[in-house]
Parts: sequence; structure tokens; C-alpha cells
Amino acid sequence: MKLLIVEDECKIGDYLKQGLTEAGFIVDLARNGLDGQHLAMTESYDLLILDIMLPDVDGWRVLKSVREAGGNVPVMFLTARDNVDDRVKGLELGADDYLVKPFAFAELLARVRTLLRRGATPVAETTLKIADLELDLIRRCVTRTGQRIKLTAKEFALLELLLRRRGEVLPRSLIASQVWDMNFDSNTNVIDVAIRRLRAKIDEDFAPKLIHTLRGMGYMLDIREED
Amino acid sequence: MRRPTSLTLRLTLLFGIAAVLVFSGFGWLIENSIQRHFAEEDASELETISEAVSDVLFDTPFKSNRTALARRLDDILVGHHEASLQITASDGQIIYASSGPDLSVLVRTTTSAPGGGLAQNWSDGTDHFRGFVRSATENNQSDDPAYSIAVAVPIDNHLRFLNSFRYTLWLMVASGIIIVSLAGWAAVRQGHAPLRDIITQIHRISVNQLNTRLSPDTVPHELTDLAVSFNEMLGRMEEAFRRLSNFSADIAHDLRTPVTSMMTQTQVTLSQTRTVDEYQEILYSNIEEFEQMTRMINDMLFLAKADHGRSKPNIASVDLVREIRGLFEYYEAWAEERNVTLLVEGTATVSGDQLMLRRALGNLLSNAISHTPSGETVRVELDTSGNEETRIVVENAGAEILPEHLPKLFDRFYRVDRSRPEGGTGLGLAIVKTIVIAHGGTITVVSSRGLTRFRIILPKPVTQSG
Repeated sequence: MKLLIVEDECKIGDYLKQGLTEAGFIVDLARNGLDGQHLAMTESYDLLILDIMLPDVDGWRVLKSVREAGGNVPVMFLTARDNVDDRVKGLELGADDYLVKPFAFAELLARVRTLLRRGATPVAETTLKIADLELDLIRRCVTRTGQRIKLTAKEFALLELLLRRRGEVLPRSLIASQVWDMNFDSNTNVIDVAIRRLRAKIDEDFAPKLIHTLRGMGYMLDIREED
Repeated sequence: MRRPTSLTLRLTLLFGIAAVLVFSGFGWLIENSIQRHFAEEDASELETISEAVSDVLFDTPFKSNRTALARRLDDILVGHHEASLQITASDGQIIYASSGPDLSVLVRTTTSAPGGGLAQNWSDGTDHFRGFVRSATENNQSDDPAYSIAVAVPIDNHLRFLNSFRYTLWLMVASGIIIVSLAGWAAVRQGHAPLRDIITQIHRISVNQLNTRLSPDTVPHELTDLAVSFNEMLGRMEEAFRRLSNFSADIAHDLRTPVTSMMTQTQVTLSQTRTVDEYQEILYSNIEEFEQMTRMINDMLFLAKADHGRSKPNIASVDLVREIRGLFEYYEAWAEERNVTLLVEGTATVSGDQLMLRRALGNLLSNAISHTPSGETVRVELDTSGNEETRIVVENAGAEILPEHLPKLFDRFYRVDRSRPEGGTGLGLAIVKTIVIAHGGTITVVSSRGLTRFRIILPKPVTQSG
């Protein structure tokens, strides 16, 4: 998967590149709009991450020229301005996502993965599995080592989210938004409690442990060798 | 829109128009009465002459003696300066004609009547005369007019006098108008002096002197209202400005604290070589501070936008029970862990911005749950009274809030217990209040007998489509 980042702020650009490279992507970084536009038009990318406010050619112009040339690569905007008009303008021009600074890197990563997954044909799964944990999406029931576990509707939704995105760090804000449709920054305690309860049901009496806390970033469901 | 005409000009014009009307009216009246006076004077002179003449005409000594008659008539005319007379017999023969203008014209154009026609003015080219024609009948036998008497007096003197009088009169009228208008203008200017004083006072008020007030007692009473309302506006501005300054100071303080702690921590950590775990620990701790700062920045931006009216509520119909249930689901696990029961009573549907209302209710609930002791209940009551306004009460049992905190509870960065920040930004309730106000509602809080109740009143929307 090859990504292009167009970002004029040095530190942010460098760390985005480092973070995304370490997450397993091939990353090109352009430090101004003109270079970015050139790269976007000549190279082939799976995703463009564009800063809107650039000193020369702004993110909108880059997106516009890409779309005019017939490119339908997914595009994510980064901006310091959270303003409905900007958001609407971005979406009208054909942007796929819009992230307001300051953002958590885990959030960016989660959204990048969502955008990249969008292109792939979804497999109509009826069961989700990891290790000996099984989630039956049709009968809405969960078993671990064949043992039936009772979950509330929201706990089921939470586990489904973690399982569908196994191996990804999911920030608390993303969990709140996906499971409970709560899109405001609220007491993040709530997510911690919900995860703790889910853990008590599916992880406590079993090994290996599946739900992991990544301090300062969020939660992840995966089989980890070291645990 | 066109700018309205200046007050001075308006009032001066008004004075001017009034003066023109009054003075012209007077002028016209005076001119007319003098003219009438002259006309009456002339008429009475003509009458006197014609009566004297008719008396003489039928006197026996003069009946046959034309010469004597002529002499007698001359005598009559002597007393009347420059009067002229012409007597015509019924057969058209002129019996007597005095010197002066030819009165035949007058006789021809006037129907002579015994009672007397009206006096007429005419001119022979150079001089002007007034005269009339009378019929004289012997012994008043009306069907046999013996003579017609034409009498005239020159009126050039009168006309000359009238002309010069008219000139003086209208000159005076014009000066009167000008003087009154000028006086009006001066009076208006003078009358505006207190207004200019107020303007000078207002000019002197700068941002640093928002505590200055105009003194309503020293201005004319017509301007008292202006001074009072201006003072009230200044008061509101001063309050808003003070809040804003405090807000900036609070922002600085609330950002400085985490920055200082991070800086100290990081510098201390870097002062000697540490283990990987220790480095990780400091980075984790930094992330937590950053998250806190990010939340604060987002909350402040939300408030700033709402304050500038830049985030207009996106009005739609919102089922509050559904919102509350959704929030309950969200807070359920947390509340259960704290052994707090969540209850909702009543129903209500309002028109408002769903995301904003959810955020406001979420903040209130989260606040209530975190202050409720174990085993107690957070209760939400919804009530739409008579289709008018919607009441939302969020009530929790727990330690009462001291009365001195209540009025400031919705202030930004106000924390009842500064020593227990609980990871909040101190902006939660300020956001609730801002959202409620953006919906045209009010929020109040009471805390007594072990219960704290937040009550939101949302008005009935003016239009359904909004």
C-alpha cells in the first residue's frame, strides 16, 4: 500500500511518514503543494493525505487537479480549521475524509485503514474468529473454547468492532463514535469501563489474552506472542 | 437606505416655512385692508359729490339757467380736489363737463342705476381714476331718468402710496422670514449642544475605561433615556469584556499548568540516562497531558464558535427520550460500576440540533453520574407543558453544592473543587449553557436537601421549518 502525504509543517510531516511507514505502508512525503501535485499526478497511490493550508498550491487545488485528471484515489484532508463550510467544500470536491488538527495518530491510522479497506470487496462474513473466540453474527452469540458467553447488545457491538479491525489500535473516541454514536469528546472513562467489562467476560478466565490496552492510544484486539 | 436629512436643516426649514406662511399672511392682510380703506374713502367722496350734484340739478333757480348751474357745479367741485364731473341729459346731450379726463368712456361702459353702480377703476393712459355713474330723477320718479351723473377722482396718489407701502411691507416680511429662520437655526444649534457634549464624553471612552458612565442627571431630560440606555450598553460591554479577559487569562493558566509539568518531567528525565521503561513512562504521561490539552482546545473552539454565532443549530425534530436512552446505554457500564441507577420519566420532542443537544445532555449526565454516591439515582424528567415549552430536569442525589458556587457553576473553567480536576476541562457546563442559549432556552441549577437539580427550559420553536 503506497501513500502520499502533502504537509508543509516539517515535524508533522516527518512523524506522519515515520508512523505510517512503521505501520507497514510505503510513504512519500511532499513538503509543498506543487511537489505534491506533481507526485499525485505522475505516481500511483492508494491514498492521498493532504494538508489544506499549503503555502503555494493548497490541498483543494491538488485534489481538484487529481479528480479532473480522472483519478479516483481516496483522499483524506488534514486541517487546523474546523469549519462546516470547509468540510462541505472538501466533500464536494470529492474528499473521502476530513481530520481536524490536533488529532491522535491512532485516530489517523484507524481512518487510513478504513479508507483503504473501502476499495476492497467486503466479504459477507457470518462468523468472526480469533484464536478460540468465535462471534456468530447471525445468531448474535459468542463462544470461547466452545463455551457460550452472554454479552449485552453494546458489548457485542464493541467486540465485533474490535474483531473486525483486529491488530489495529482503536482510539477511545473512535470506539465511542462507532459503537454508541457519541461524537463528542466526553468522559473517556466510559470506554475504559466498557472494555473492562468485556474483558472480564471474554478474557479473564482464558488464555491467550486478546484485548490489549495501548496506553495513551486506545485498545487493540490481537493475539500477541509476548502475552 | 438613504441617510436622513440633518436635524438642524430639518428644524430650520420648518421654522422658515412657518415664518413664510405667517408673515406672508400678515402682509397680504395688511395690503388688502389698506386697499379696501382707500376704495371706501374714494367711494364716499364720489357719493358726496354725486349727492350734492343731484340736489342742485333739480333746484328751480338752475333748472333753466345752465350758466348758473355750471357755476354752482364748479363751486361744488372746488371742495373736492381734482374731482371730475360730467352730466348727460337723457337725450345724450352733455350738459356739463368739468376739466379733467373725458368721462364719456365711463358713461358708455357703465349701466347707470339710480341706487348707483359699483365704482370702477380705469386709466386714460397716463393717469388712473376711480369713478361711477348715477342716474338722477326728478322727485324720484324712477321711470324717467332725467340725467346721468358721472363722477371720478384720480387715484394716482393712492396707487403710488400703495406701491411704496407694498415694497416696504414685503421687504419687512422677507427680513422677518430670514431673521426667524436664522434664529431657529441658532436655537437648534444651541439646543443640540448637550448632544454634542454627550458625544464628546462618549469619544473619550476607550477599552480601558469601560467603567466610565454618562451622568443622566446633567443632561436635558429628553436625553436622559439616551444616557441611561447608553450606560446600560456600556455595562453589558464591560461585563462581556471582563469575561473575555478572564477567559483568556484562564486559558493561559489552564494551558500553562500542563505545559509546565510536561516540560519539567521531560527535562528531569533527560538529565540522565534512564531505562527504556522510564522513557516510555514519560512519553505516556506526556500523551495523557496532550489529550487533556486537545480536549480543552476543542471545547474552547466550540465555545468560541458558538459565541460568535458561527455554529448555527442545525434544526430538526429531536426525540429527547431516544437521546436520553442512547446516552444511558453509553454511560450504563460506568454507572453500574459506580452503583448508580439511571432513570428517565416522561417524554418530549423538541426541535433543535441533535448533536448539540446530545452533547449538552451527555455533559449533564456525565456530571451528574460522577457526583452521585454509590446506591443513589440519577433521574431525568422530561415534560412538555401544554405544547408550550419543554422542561428537562437532570437530578442527582449527593453532596449539595454550596450556594456561593451556584451562580458561577456555568462559568468557563469554574471548578467547585479545584483540588480534584477529574480530567475534565472545566468547560463542560459552560458548553451545556452555551448550547441551551443557542436554542433560545434557559438553564438553572438548585441544590438542596441532598439533591442537585439542573433544569433546562427550551421554548416552543417559532416556526416548524426553522
